[in-house]
Amino acid sequence: MGKKILMKGCEAIGEAAIRAGCKHYFAYPITPQTEVAEYLARRMPEVGGVFLQAESEVAASNMLFGAAGAGVRVFTSSSSPGISLMSEAISYIAAAELPVVFINIVRSGPGLGGILPAQSDYFQATKGGGHGDYRLLVLAPSSVQEAVDLVMTAFTLADRYRNPIMIIGDGMIGQMMEPVEFHDELASEPPEKSGWATVGCKGRDPVIVKTLYLDPVACHKHNVKLKEKADRMVANEVRGERYNCEGDYRLLLVSYGTMARVCKTAIDELKEQGIEVGMYRPISLFPFPILPIRQEANRPHVQAVLSVELSMGQMVEDVERAVLGARPVHFYGMAGGLVPTPDDVTRAIRELL
Amino acid sequence: MQYRAQREPISPGVERSRHRPSRGPEALTYDLANVIALIGNFGSGKSEVAVNLALTLAAEGRKVAIADLDVVNPYFRCREAMDLLASHDIELVMPDTRYFSADLPIVVPRIKAIIERPDDCSILDVGGDDVGATVLASLADAFRSVRHDFLQVINLSRPFTDTVEGCLAIGRQIERAARLTITGLVGNTHLMDETTPEHLAEGYAFVQEVSRTTGLPVKFVTVDRSLMASVPVDDWSCPVLPLTRHLLPPWKRPEADLGSDNFLLRGRGISPHLHKE
Repeated sequence: MGKKILMKGCEAIGEAAIRAGCKHYFAYPITPQTEVAEYLARRMPEVGGVFLQAESEVAASNMLFGAAGAGVRVFTSSSSPGISLMSEAISYIAAAELPVVFINIVRSGPGLGGILPAQSDYFQATKGGGHGDYRLLVLAPSSVQEAVDLVMTAFTLADRYRNPIMIIGDGMIGQMMEPVEFHDELASEPPEKSGWATVGCKGRDPVIVKTLYLDPVACHKHNVKLKEKADRMVANEVRGERYNCEGDYRLLLVSYGTMARVCKTAIDELKEQGIEVGMYRPISLFPFPILPIRQEANRPHVQAVLSVELSMGQMVEDVERAVLGARPVHFYGMAGGLVPTPDDVTRAIRELL
Repeated sequence: MQYRAQREPISPGVERSRHRPSRGPEALTYDLANVIALIGNFGSGKSEVAVNLALTLAAEGRKVAIADLDVVNPYFRCREAMDLLASHDIELVMPDTRYFSADLPIVVPRIKAIIERPDDCSILDVGGDDVGATVLASLADAFRSVRHDFLQVINLSRPFTDTVEGCLAIGRQIERAARLTITGLVGNTHLMDETTPEHLAEGYAFVQEVSRTTGLPVKFVTVDRSLMASVPVDDWSCPVLPLTRHLLPPWKRPEADLGSDNFLLRGRGISPHLHKE
């Protein structure tokens, strides 16, 4: 498109899905991401697509299951409690190896919580949420532009791995407005799906989309297959950004999403005062960027690592897994919808240095 | 009633701007009623315009009340500027602070009062789209009892209002929902930090085109304060409101000299949790 326009994160996510060739959206409204549904209620009919507001997130997520099984590109968006309701279907979709894109614009929890930004669904997204041995490929944008690019990429990845992909953004990513442009080159043609999708079986044996394996050997083999798929993601899909990591910085921050942008402001201001702090910003939360973070933490000038999150400490467990005790790993965070200020982060950094 | 004794109505495309950037905001003259409701599609910038207009009018010595009627969007509402507004003696009419972060359709009785009996001037920041404007329908009779301005805020860079037809369509939807008639336009074209002078000029031309099509006057256009010197506002036929961003994301520093603030930035006296290993 080339020309930049001003879009709210939620609207931009909806438009990105359309640009990626997705014409099926099933959802149930929930703050702070209802604007995705609002936007697509207007846009889907314009492109000959379908937006169906389901009676609940449970219904919406099972519509995704069915539509993906029928071979169409499909996605949904929701927020934390809604994603909890969808978790059963996410497990089924992962088990049935279907490509679906889920957007979680995270609000504070647990329970109904509040409607302001949070990152407290990290465990849910990266460690399960639903039952069984499966992994979601989880991507976390920190700007509206990055959200747009990752949504478009997510449809390609969903097809590549035949696996649900989750884009996770705190409420600020969904609600703020930023200039965006759409990179249509990120869109891909859907692959041939007749080998597994129910696209019509004239002239061949029918395919069955199922998740029931009563034979334990078959079920074990299926789990091994899913594990191998997760291993391929770990090998190929690690994404992240280094910030101010060129010099002899003494403290490594690890932060993502909106929180990473606050950290960048703090890092820039400390730099002006002659204090060097580096940051690694994971973009893929699963696969977690274990090796790049380990590499940064092990630099001789790095004294400690600080995980900064809008939660009470979730990603920090993966940071510890990356650092493997080589450096102390500290945690700094806020929950409930409050966002630490650049000053708050600066104070924490000064306390550690 | 108009704000300045010397003011006569401004006809778009005929008169030159009375605003001279070198003379600062005190040179601003607006042809506005005492009761102003800002409406438009969501994300058109109503809240930021409302806060800036309130501050500018207060700086001119006006007694300003601003009502946050946004029942659509829980983020970046003008209530986030409550401390800033209070420090300029601007009355902020909003639901009880217990419901500060709620997205509930609460209309407090004081809103009707500032429409029917404005102390001086009242600005109503209305939620986006026809959905947000629906709340005005219950206040339509109050509006009709006073001279009011019902202004559509337009940003050329937003989806659905990047064509004249798009602006007309959203305007009609809002008029229907609010049971009120739009009386003027506000040009608010920008791309946040990526706004260029060319872009502002394009936005100005666009709102003039909407004005020609609708016959509605352009009441003012906004220009980012930092770009005021780069834009030929002297050649523009409508007043210009220099705009400072007050409703900021949490990583942005407010402009300290203007005392802007952000409710998320405040942390409300709670310290983040630091767990040292």
